Amino acid sequence: MNFLSGWHIIAYAAAATVPPLVALYFLKLKRREQPIPSTLLWKRAVQDLHVNSPFQRLRRNLLMLLQLLVLLLAAFALGKPILEAQQTHEGTVILMIDQSASMNVREEDGRTRLEIAKQQAGRVIDNMKDGAQAMVIAFSDKAAILSSFDTDRAALKARIDGIEPTESLSTLTEALALAEAHATNLVIDRSEEGGGVLAPDLTSAAGVVLITDGRVQDADQVVSQRFRTENMEIINVARRTDNVGIVAMEARRHYERPGQVEVFAEVRNFGEGPVRNLDVMLYLEGTLESVQTLSQLEPGLVPPAADGEEGAAPAAGGVSRAARQTGPPPGSTAAVTFQNVTFGGGGEIEVRIRIDDALQADNRAWTVIRPPRNTELLMVSEGNLFLDRVMQTLPVRLTRMTPEEYEKADDETLLDGPRSRFDLVMFDRHSTRRLPAGNYFFWGSVPQIEGVEAADPVRNEIFVNWDETHPVLRHVAVENIQVLQWRRLTVPPEATRLIDGETSPVLVYLSREGRQYLISAFSLVAADDETGEPVLNTFWVTQTHFPMFCYNAVQYLAATLATSGQGNVWPGEPMLIPVTGRASKVTVRRPDGRTDTVDTLGSDTVPYAQTRTVGVYRVTPTTPGQERFAVNLFSATESNVAPNEQFALGAEAVAGTKGVQKVQKPLWPYVLLAALALVLLEWIIYNKRVFV
Amino acid sequence: MATAVEKKDDDLLDPGFLSRIEQLEIVSRKIFAGKMRGERRSKRKGESVEFADYRNYVVGDDLRFLDWNIYARLDRLFLKLFLEEEDLHVSLLIDASRSMDWGSPAKLKYAKQIAAALAYIGLSNYDRVSLYGYANGLVAEMAGLRGKRLMARAVDFLRNLPGEGVSNLAAACKQYAVRHPQPGVLLVISDFLEKGGFEQGLRYLLGRNLDLYCVQVLSPDEVNPQLAGDLRLVDVEDDDVAEITVSQALLHRYRQTLRAFCESLREYCTRRGVAYLFTSTDVGFDQVILSYLRQRGLLR
Repeated sequence: MNFLSGWHIIAYAAAATVPPLVALYFLKLKRREQPIPSTLLWKRAVQDLHVNSPFQRLRRNLLMLLQLLVLLLAAFALGKPILEAQQTHEGTVILMIDQSASMNVREEDGRTRLEIAKQQAGRVIDNMKDGAQAMVIAFSDKAAILSSFDTDRAALKARIDGIEPTESLSTLTEALALAEAHATNLVIDRSEEGGGVLAPDLTSAAGVVLITDGRVQDADQVVSQRFRTENMEIINVARRTDNVGIVAMEARRHYERPGQVEVFAEVRNFGEGPVRNLDVMLYLEGTLESVQTLSQLEPGLVPPAADGEEGAAPAAGGVSRAARQTGPPPGSTAAVTFQNVTFGGGGEIEVRIRIDDALQADNRAWTVIRPPRNTELLMVSEGNLFLDRVMQTLPVRLTRMTPEEYEKADDETLLDGPRSRFDLVMFDRHSTRRLPAGNYFFWGSVPQIEGVEAADPVRNEIFVNWDETHPVLRHVAVENIQVLQWRRLTVPPEATRLIDGETSPVLVYLSREGRQYLISAFSLVAADDETGEPVLNTFWVTQTHFPMFCYNAVQYLAATLATSGQGNVWPGEPMLIPVTGRASKVTVRRPDGRTDTVDTLGSDTVPYAQTRTVGVYRVTPTTPGQERFAVNLFSATESNVAPNEQFALGAEAVAGTKGVQKVQKPLWPYVLLAALALVLLEWIIYNKRVFV
Repeated sequence: MATAVEKKDDDLLDPGFLSRIEQLEIVSRKIFAGKMRGERRSKRKGESVEFADYRNYVVGDDLRFLDWNIYARLDRLFLKLFLEEEDLHVSLLIDASRSMDWGSPAKLKYAKQIAAALAYIGLSNYDRVSLYGYANGLVAEMAGLRGKRLMARAVDFLRNLPGEGVSNLAAACKQYAVRHPQPGVLLVISDFLEKGGFEQGLRYLLGRNLDLYCVQVLSPDEVNPQLAGDLRLVDVEDDDVAEITVSQALLHRYRQTLRAFCESLREYCTRRGVAYLFTSTDVGFDQVILSYLRQRGLLR
């Protein structure tokens, strides 16, 4: 039992009401005079009554006692008594509520985690002391402030109730940054209003309540600058563990037989128990094409102490996530491959697993594949034997131009509407500013765009770092590549460095304004320093993985050989929709049937961010082959729905409350009800005069 | 006579009622049993008298009572003796204290109505009717009325009898016993709510060879009080105060007390051969006359 208002309120209320009541009773009762023929019998009756009634004095004061009790109960109710006040928040509370995909898990009681989280948040609001203010932030991959600091509990609860589930990933950084920013603003506002009196820094005193299932991708990277760790509380609402999800999927056309498709999917069991006879189904344009049955998937959930599961190392702030992810337990993942699937036209390919598990969003995965067609490739070169040869082996329609021809070519040759006619333009040692919307690969030169420069050649350096997970470098043995010289590149910070040399980047991917650039600092052929004759700059061209790299690059940039141009889009991830012709509006139809209309504003691409649910999104109008794009969860973090017992924030561990926050039931309505009942009883006694 | 009464006081008795009670007579149960009954009956029949005995004529006797037939046969003067015309004394002792002047209708008026009716019956039968009003002792008296023509006076007396003063039955009975030694029928009409107790007063009457009737008159408000709230009850007679807070329990207790009180009076009377009659003012007084008192044997 605790009091939200405090004892003093009760004391004040009682002091204000009880003495007057008692005084009223002590005052002489004003009796009405009533003449009667004789008091003889009345006196006898009264005398008899007194003699025969024990506790007469008490009974005579019964009404007063009842009224006193009613007053005391009312005063008690004013104190806002609550039961089981485990923790009450004073001052400022920042509620952060996870609304990511894993919060859609339906727990045993039939409610989703988000619903439980909302209830918990409501309890936190209920448990606030009077005058305490709370802020509500809902976060998934983005964070939104649903309510700034407010003391109105009903409004806060309404905001909390309005939180909608998403199928996005969850990241905490933005939410924390928002909370810090708002708390700081509040301090400034207060100090201004306070007329020079500096208000206490709310952020340091603010209680942060994080309601999540513990599956937050960047939990170990989040470090709050302002909130004190001891003021942070994590309410973990996760219970259920069983989940099987598709964590990866890809479809690609057969290299030699473009009418056939190969579909690959990775299915992983995240649950505590094994899964048997799991049907994995392949749908082409919504029609069931093939089914494969996985006989057994081993349990994917292992005891936290024995394994470095994500978030399992509270003090692992400095350790990279890759190092901590030791991978799933053996047998818990299975790769499913559907081979030689005949799919001449383009369209949706869906892989579905048939299981009733905790999370539904990861039981289906989609990809959109284009109809087979050759990539239109424009090679702008003075002549490069090696590139020529390699490109001839690729299923591309190759057009050659010299740099002079390129610069002089009319728009009709190069353009299709505002965009480039070619899927990919490859420049060999030619730098240009003629770059309509499209995809460009520069060998030993740079696009003449802001922030990209190429300086003097660098010699005798080696590659020190590269991202072998990037699709362009897949199956490429970068460590075996030796390059004599390359130009010192200066690239904008948003560029992705695929290969780094000792002092400058060597291979850079840059996406800007609807254009993709792959910039290689070296060319395959370089002019000899002494003779000026072209000599081979690298022996890579003789190695087997050079064609692989070219294939990857063409596929990645032109993206006509494999899936749709977008690759996979994660829920909540914004994407750029290419605009065809002069369309002023683009309509996107979401998987749930809702449509969004985006104004193009004359641009050749429009951003679209309403990708919060998984499924296939349809765009009209857009460039051919871009009509549909798929949004898939593909997140081991979100699919791993099991409660994260060792969830921690940043380097400083913030222990999560293991249980759900206790119910803190307000007692005052019951106290008032009791008072009301007493008033009723008093009224009955007064009217019946049973005792008095 | 009846019309005169009706004109003078239609408050107390109405002519229809009078005509109904004219046929009634007051009966004494014990005093003149077997002695006066015949005569009183013969008196009602007019001139014929009941023969009792003969005695020798002495000078001075009323010649009208000589038996001329015997004189013709025997040539001697005999005087026919008839039963002496001793009339029945009917006394009505009416409580005229202030407590009787209460209720609707007032108990006193109710008592007066009963008294008037009985007086009329008595006067119609040439009984000797005496009316007494008492409070703290006898306060009014009209004794020895006889004959219907005096009914108007009786009614006047009753109408002018005020309800005031403190009731003292004992003093009244004592005075009555001293002033009125003759046997007869005595009706005490009162509420008997005597602070000093009714026993003392009745005791003065018990040894007087009286055919005693106690008629207790209460108002419905006394039987079932319609009171509520915190009250300061003031006795209208002596300004005595009782502070009460009316409750169901108290009302219940009051009714119990009242019942016990009436029962004690009834038992006191029964044990001593006194006829007791309880009535409430919501019972019509004609019903009391025509039904209750006849049942008790006072009227025939």
